[in-house]
Amino acid sequence: MLLENQVALVTGSSRGIGAAIAKKFAAEGAVVIINYLHNQQRADELVDTIATADGQAVALQADVRDAEAVGRMITTIQENLGTLNIVVNNALNHYQFDPKKRATNWQTDWSAYQNQIDGSVKGSFNVCQAALPLLQQQPGGRIINLVSNLIESPIVPYHDYITAKTALLGYTRTLASEVGAFGVQVNAIAPGLTYPTDSSVTTKNDVRERIIEQTPTGRLTIPEDIAGSAVFLASDLSANMTGQCLYVDGGLVMH
Amino acid sequence: MIILADNQKVKLYWVPTAFKLENKTVKTLQVDGQTYRLQAPELTAELVTSIGNACRIARQHSLANMTVAEIVTIIDQAIEKWCHSDYPQRILAEKLLPAITGYDHTTVALEIKRFVRNFRKKELWRFIDTELDNPAILDDFHPQKSGQLTKAIGPTAIFHVFSSNIPGLQIWSLIMGLITKSANLGKTSLSEPLFPVLFSQTLAEVSPELAATIAILPWKGGTHDLEQAAIDSTNATIVYGSDQAVKSIHALVPDDKIFLHYGYKISFAMIGAEALTPEYYPQMVQKMAEDIAVYDQQSCLSPQTVFVEAGGTITPHQFAQLLAKALTNNQLKWPRAKLTTSEAVAVTRLRQESQIQALTDATIQVIASPDSTAWTVVYHQKPALMSSPLNRTIHVMAIDDLAQVPALLRPYQPFLQSCGLAVAPQRLLELGSQLGDAGIDRICAIGDMTRAQSGWHHDGRFNLLDLLKMVDIELGAEALAEHFDPDVE
Repeated sequence: MLLENQVALVTGSSRGIGAAIAKKFAAEGAVVIINYLHNQQRADELVDTIATADGQAVALQADVRDAEAVGRMITTIQENLGTLNIVVNNALNHYQFDPKKRATNWQTDWSAYQNQIDGSVKGSFNVCQAALPLLQQQPGGRIINLVSNLIESPIVPYHDYITAKTALLGYTRTLASEVGAFGVQVNAIAPGLTYPTDSSVTTKNDVRERIIEQTPTGRLTIPEDIAGSAVFLASDLSANMTGQCLYVDGGLVMH
Repeated sequence: MIILADNQKVKLYWVPTAFKLENKTVKTLQVDGQTYRLQAPELTAELVTSIGNACRIARQHSLANMTVAEIVTIIDQAIEKWCHSDYPQRILAEKLLPAITGYDHTTVALEIKRFVRNFRKKELWRFIDTELDNPAILDDFHPQKSGQLTKAIGPTAIFHVFSSNIPGLQIWSLIMGLITKSANLGKTSLSEPLFPVLFSQTLAEVSPELAATIAILPWKGGTHDLEQAAIDSTNATIVYGSDQAVKSIHALVPDDKIFLHYGYKISFAMIGAEALTPEYYPQMVQKMAEDIAVYDQQSCLSPQTVFVEAGGTITPHQFAQLLAKALTNNQLKWPRAKLTTSEAVAVTRLRQESQIQALTDATIQVIASPDSTAWTVVYHQKPALMSSPLNRTIHVMAIDDLAQVPALLRPYQPFLQSCGLAVAPQRLLELGSQLGDAGIDRICAIGDMTRAQSGWHHDGRFNLLDLLKMVDIELGAEALAEHFDPDVE
């Protein structure tokens, strides 16, 4: 197993991409902390699912936008598990990906931007600040930030969301530059439209088909695709790789 | 041209050409698909005595009559050969020394190259001029400020007991012996017997007469009859090695002969908060990790503890974590030598003891390479000077103010040697003075700890003066002599 004896925190992981990552990490031997904001029931269910498959997970509530709450969560992890090796910043402020109802730029005021920046950037910042002392205890710590392939090609211009995710990639790179010396690797994953998830159900068939048409692999991304890349970035398979962004979107964006 | 390897046989000894010694293969090495049979001689006390005598006689006819400038030129020409990557002896050293010692080949190649540069002509004069106002007194009588005429006389012959921890280090002592115009009989150990032999071969290429005053012989330390024979046929003894080795040889040396020894020493580093700025902390960590990795801390110059001052951009604890990562990187770049069982046990024991302490004492933390003993960092919030089991094991001590360090050194005073120091100039001299009082004899840059500069007062002493005896002709004797000049008025 690729993540044996590792402790991993996945924020916003009661559902969707986060849940898929948590399950895959557990299947690879990690002890996974399922962080959630509201949905304790789904988080508990995920813990049960993982336990049924002989994995180890615990659910911990914390609003990642709240530095104190994050601090308490990390302290709980430290006191109970003694260490933390992997952090996946997956949580974001709730967002509905609905191309038909999206706000145009003149309809998007600063508060919308601020909300997304708080969810993506401040949330990741809070978690990293609190977790880094633990990640730095031993060379090999990993941080994975979830961004979006829309930052490269805004096929649907979700202004506030894309701006925040782009900032998160900048944070990923600047953080990687400094903590590499501690043996901590910081990378990003940029998923394409990942379907089905609670956020993407409102992306209707026509847009999905349009995206599929332009996608070399001829399909949308599923949460397990992202989980595979996350395992790669969390494990020794990605040794000496940092400050990078993996696009997992069937080749829609190419560099 | 000297034949280096006769049918891949490599001699681990050097004797004046008249001697044809009985060899036997003591070790067989496979390097790059080639087999090397290392040859050591069968030695008896009588043979050591006659080799020692031959070196002394050869000295009488060559070295004793050379000027220091001539000797310096010969050594310089030999060193110059070693400064070329295609020089056969250097190629052989780079091939065989890693196999003999276990050190990483990149480290050996790099460090040997750097080490030999310490003995170029300009560096040799640095050694000499540091200790003698007028080096010409090594050749003849010269007037001193007080009026008398003085000449410096070295031992007729020196017996060197070399240590084997650092490849090549033996020639430091050998070269000092040549500068004092002494015949040199060097005893190596089988852990690193090669370098002084190869260097003697180079000297023979430049000056066969000078090389005939040198003998390099390997034997097992503690073979008292051979050691006694060597001591009896020389009039100065220099011992490098453990306190036990020093004591064992000292017991054999009569009181009227010069006896110098360089025994167990401990070195450490101190990093001030001013060197831990965002601009400089990464290189401080890198350089510290390099000092720890070079020759796996086997040198007495290598740090065993590093004191890190609080108040910089990174905390001492973060320094320990960064050092751990840098040591991980060094393991890829310059893999550590394979350890003997007892060495590995020593590292493992320190790890276990520290981990047990850490369970009840939150001021201690162990960061260690997973699944191997490759490197170990033990972080302490309560500072003290601690020795390390070496092989890339380092104690990182948090300290509020570096000025507190000298007081922590007291218990170790007789053993202190180098201090790698990174502080602003305002503190350099004052700290230097306090460290000197505490017992330190060398303050050097972080990153250069294992590379002592030419002219260093080794263990606080003189390289040449300790070997020299001054002969004075007083003014009266000189004036009296004038009366006896047949041509006097």
